[in-house]
Amino acid sequence: MKQAIDPAWPRDDFSRVPYAVFTDAEIYRLENQRIFRGPVWNYLCHDIELPKTGDFVTTWVGDTHVIVARNGAGLVHAFENSCAHRGAKLTSAVRGNAAHLTCPYHLWTYTLEGDLQGVTFQRGVGGKGGMPACFEKKDHGLNKLRVAIYGGLVFGTFSDHAPPLEEFLGPHSLSQIDRLLVQRKPKVLGYLRQRIPGNWKLYNENVRDPYHGSLLHQFQVSFGLQQPTMRGGIKLDADLKNTWNHSIITEQDAASQKIVAEAYAGTGKFNPDLKMADPALTRVPLDLGDNYKTTILSMFPTLIVAQVDNTYAIRHLRPKGPDLVELHITYLGFESDTPEQTRDKLLTVNFIGPAGYISLEDGEALRLVQQGIRHRRPGGHEVLEMGGVGPIVDTDYLSQEISIRGFWSFYHQIMGLPAAGRAEATP
Amino acid sequence: MTRDMIDWTMQARVEAFLYEYAASLDEERFDDWITLFDAAGCTYEVLSRENRDLGLPAPIMGCYSYGMVCDRVAMLVKGVLTYRHNHLLRQVGNVRVRGDAGNAGAELSVRAGLVVYQSDEEGVSSLYMVARYEAQLTDIGGSFLIRRMAVAVDSFGIDTMLAVPL
Repeated sequence: MKQAIDPAWPRDDFSRVPYAVFTDAEIYRLENQRIFRGPVWNYLCHDIELPKTGDFVTTWVGDTHVIVARNGAGLVHAFENSCAHRGAKLTSAVRGNAAHLTCPYHLWTYTLEGDLQGVTFQRGVGGKGGMPACFEKKDHGLNKLRVAIYGGLVFGTFSDHAPPLEEFLGPHSLSQIDRLLVQRKPKVLGYLRQRIPGNWKLYNENVRDPYHGSLLHQFQVSFGLQQPTMRGGIKLDADLKNTWNHSIITEQDAASQKIVAEAYAGTGKFNPDLKMADPALTRVPLDLGDNYKTTILSMFPTLIVAQVDNTYAIRHLRPKGPDLVELHITYLGFESDTPEQTRDKLLTVNFIGPAGYISLEDGEALRLVQQGIRHRRPGGHEVLEMGGVGPIVDTDYLSQEISIRGFWSFYHQIMGLPAAGRAEATP
Repeated sequence: MTRDMIDWTMQARVEAFLYEYAASLDEERFDDWITLFDAAGCTYEVLSRENRDLGLPAPIMGCYSYGMVCDRVAMLVKGVLTYRHNHLLRQVGNVRVRGDAGNAGAELSVRAGLVVYQSDEEGVSSLYMVARYEAQLTDIGGSFLIRRMAVAVDSFGIDTMLAVPL
């Protein structure tokens, strides 16, 4: 068991990642304890999903099922979806509205703040039975999370030691959340759910990996949506866990097909003559007008706010064990959108989600990695050297894996794993 | 609709049409599949039950022209997309037909249940999708053309991906 929970990290620049972190049940258990119940801010929902008093949604913080509700004072509270009495799930609804929450089993009721309000037969029946005199309702509330909101994004933490939310998110996340989700008021156009048979951290790698963008996603390359020659890069927060990666249209992109053709020579994957019968999807204008083709904000541990072309979405990872993750997507439009802009977003949704011309391939990539590492000799490591090894720094180019190393650096620290780079092999 | 009111000839024609629709996809005869749609104008959507119940408009997959329907399968045929290539078996049942019977050009409203199984290269099968077809068909005599096909999906927590239309 020691080897399972103590895989070797041979290099302290995190250019090697032990495959065991993607498959080991004990590591997964520790992640729930040290990350999801640790000093991080977990994404819960968007403020616009709780417009009225009593509105609630349910979501996941690691393996923990959580209710997020708006109370009469307009404040958002979050607590575990498990009765303080005998542990029953309070609600099976994904969302709803309630004056208070009632456990179906013995009808104990809770306020929208998660406090115990009513205990049936607390004084007994006909003078007999009931709870003991020492029973205090205030001691039996639901397990609560501390809640903080930035730019409409609602976060919760189980820990008293999480830093202030804005510090945790870092300056790049804050400024890009403002750009994507605050300067226009968002509205939900739909939810998309994808159950990917891969570890949740593989998706964290995927969104911090612009190297794959123009290689796996032929559709993007074929229709000029993403090119390895595009201007762009990555910026990390102070403790390297959160990444802002972006690409910008430049004039040289017209000439970049030649470079792409050379890079793809012999792979049989490049198809510059590909045409669409109806190219309307690829002609939707960028409605922010700032020439950003992609903005991927990857925020530890499970949140991604993404602009891919003219799509805007909140992606939330909901781990379901070491081998499975639900990718939950909240697909957004904006209150100010014209009917035509809304129609455009119902078209460009074809880029993303489980059937997305771009995103569906990420699901497959994760499945293939999980399958591959499950069925190889125990031990072994990923090799993350694209863009160079050593210091983990911002880049002004896209074909790199440095930001993935940033994720692992923070992961390694918060998990309290043995020091990286030590010479001796794990016993 | 009571049993007495069922036009059994029409019922059999629609069922045969849906079986061909399902078989053309199962057998990856995508060129045959697109001929079932009206080239003069059609839509094809995969919709999640969750979004429908909430009145939210975003589809999982949305094609709003004949060209877009063609593109969806062209990207598979031309090898543009990297996707899990399972064998799929579509089972269509509980087919219900409403509309004028027998008149050329008549519009029919069709509903049916759909279950899709997936099988991998090592012969392991599982349930992939539970859904309903909601179609608007035009009767063109010998067959029909799809004006609108909505596939309403109960299993909207989609296993890995949805590359091949339902």
